[in-house]
Amino acid sequence: MTEFSDRALMRRVAAGEEPAFTTLVDRYGPRLFVVARRLLGSPADAEDAVQRTLLRCLTGARSYRPAWAVSTWLYRILTNVCIDQMRRRGPAEAWRRSASRDGAAPDGRQAGGGGRRSRAIARIDAADRIHRRLDLDRALARVPREARLLLALRYADGLSYSELARARGISINTVKSQLARGKSILRAALEGE
Amino acid sequence: MTTHDDRSLDLLLVAHFRPAVAPADLASGVLTRARSDAARARDLMRRLHVEATPHGIARVDLGKGAPGTSGSNASARRLADQGWEELRQYFEGRRTFFDVPVDLDATPEFQRRVLTTAVTIPYGEARTYSWVADHAGNPRAVRAAGTALGRNPVPFIVPCHRVLRTGGGLGGYYFGLPMKEWLLDLERHTPILEGSATTRIVCRLGCSASPRIRPENRVVFAAVEDARSVGYRPCRVCRPGRTTGVA
Repeated sequence: MTEFSDRALMRRVAAGEEPAFTTLVDRYGPRLFVVARRLLGSPADAEDAVQRTLLRCLTGARSYRPAWAVSTWLYRILTNVCIDQMRRRGPAEAWRRSASRDGAAPDGRQAGGGGRRSRAIARIDAADRIHRRLDLDRALARVPREARLLLALRYADGLSYSELARARGISINTVKSQLARGKSILRAALEGE
Repeated sequence: MTTHDDRSLDLLLVAHFRPAVAPADLASGVLTRARSDAARARDLMRRLHVEATPHGIARVDLGKGAPGTSGSNASARRLADQGWEELRQYFEGRRTFFDVPVDLDATPEFQRRVLTTAVTIPYGEARTYSWVADHAGNPRAVRAAGTALGRNPVPFIVPCHRVLRTGGGLGGYYFGLPMKEWLLDLERHTPILEGSATTRIVCRLGCSASPRIRPENRVVFAAVEDARSVGYRPCRVCRPGRTTGVA
């Protein structure tokens, strides 16, 4: 199948071509999903947010302007959806939910190779990973919403300062100061506990 | 205790935000949802009737009589048209409060108190029947409050769908429980604050002073303080943050 560029794909989505929409979802689904998952905590909430994002992408495809990178445009919609969902739920609850989920099903479960020793190491590794992840989840919950959102986009997809500014409708200087502030809160939270 | 220099924090964050496997049937789920949402909004507007007096909206109904608007004179008809348009925006998730006045003069006194109490329940939130009875000035009249809400002549605008049973049960609804559930879900997923990336002003969703924000300039905020922290100022007309979401 021909590889369409993002913008060509959006033209086809706007023209109502469902296969083009499916291709777009395959291309961006995983990245949108991880941002939503980390911002909202639960996989079910993340799936719902991504569905809503894609729904708005589909119904608003005609308002898409090629001056925008498709990814930036999608992140604008996704952050609009997620930030509103974050309003309803305090950060404390978000990390508590993600903490109990990760504790119940450690993702290092299949990491063990053969032998008792390597299984033991794998267990320690997995425990360490989970421990660090919980620390980070907890630390992220302390970062104010707007900064947390920018950190998520920056690290999930490597968005540049100007892409972040555009995705969130703010100035580049604000992006820089928000990221710096977010990281210093993170650092303090990780080291201070 | 570990120290986190810039590089180790970066690595930690990159690992934290690495792409996850998206649910398999994402695209088809969205396509199905798009069809049903559009059908629902179209269906509602085909059945909606709004009636006004010169003082405000006196009746909103679905499916009885011809759809459209009616009023006894020109100013009543203007109000009815305004109510119709605001309801359309509300159903489409583009409005979270109503500017149009309501006329409850024809309703009995207790019912009027119950309905004006219900109006104070913010968009996206819910209260119980006993809360309404209490705030309407008669804590023991819980059942009567329920009946008064059930006979609400201006549903949606007076949000009787935001009243639930103690313990979280849906209670009743004149248009049926699926409709009540749909409205609560709509409100749960409609943002209440939106800003314009060009003017850097943040408004309540549906503010009459903000010209329609173009989709590419629309930025949602969770709180007025969040918007301020990234350089937006609150609109002076709809004054977000100072009201509870009530017209």
